[in-house]
Amino acid sequence: MAQVDTKAYLLLIVRLVVSAAFLLAAMPKIQDPVAFTTSVEGFRVVEGDLAAWVSIILPWLELVIGFGLLIPQIRRGSGILIALLLVIFISLHASAWARGLDISCGCYGVNQTDEPSNYLWLICRNVALLIGCVAVLIRDWRSDIRSRVGLPPDQSGRDF
Amino acid sequence: MPSLLKEFTLIAALTLTGAAYSLVSGLAPLPWAEPELAAGEIRLTDAQALDVIWVDARPYEEFAEDHIPEALFFDEGDWDSGLIDLMNTWLMQPRPIIVYCGTESCGTSKRIAERLREALPEAEIYSLKGGWDAWLK
Repeated sequence: MAQVDTKAYLLLIVRLVVSAAFLLAAMPKIQDPVAFTTSVEGFRVVEGDLAAWVSIILPWLELVIGFGLLIPQIRRGSGILIALLLVIFISLHASAWARGLDISCGCYGVNQTDEPSNYLWLICRNVALLIGCVAVLIRDWRSDIRSRVGLPPDQSGRDF
Repeated sequence: MPSLLKEFTLIAALTLTGAAYSLVSGLAPLPWAEPELAAGEIRLTDAQALDVIWVDARPYEEFAEDHIPEALFFDEGDWDSGLIDLMNTWLMQPRPIIVYCGTESCGTSKRIAERLREALPEAEIYSLKGGWDAWLK
């Protein structure tokens, strides 16, 4: 009887969750970049034209790397960029919290524009996603090294 | 490492293609275009042309430090007393009410303006686009 590789399936679920989180975050922002610009400016890190460019490019980057985490050809690069973005998001939320800014996160679109942010929740959520992303990234890296040195895929052969 | 570089290049190309689509299709306004006004908002230049009641929805420390002349401090947490002060001022001389908070994106002014419209349905109530930051500019 085939032994179920629980770890591999768990990592697949984590990969899907991280990917879905970025895809769901990207879609409403692509549809309404004006509202997202307001959220970006609220962090008081970038403003004006630069904030507008960020609000146009960032959602597409989130969409591409969200899908990218599921595509073998670009999954390592996507994983690295997702981890990097999550670190930036965590730093921005911590910074806004420390400065007592009254802003909306803008993380998942415009419906929550008027809601004040719960920074602790936002930071915890992003830390959890970051941990998941790092786990997926390590798995992809090991898998890539194994294939390059000619070793068979990981243990049970389930290389997600 | 070269394969990783290829991955980043491909990701960058796809991202820029998407961003270009947003701009070309009109999904996103051109970053250098004049920003639009949301419902219930008013620009500072328009507000300054009117005789209005300014309502400061920022934290008290910021209000105490500086505020728009004759602005009323409004603590959302102490809604009733804030509303009574505002109603007294408005009833003495009815005129548009403009609520402002700290920045373009602070939700407080929009939220308070929305609640005030329910409490004072006969009053003309706006939130200031750009908030206190716009006043400072």
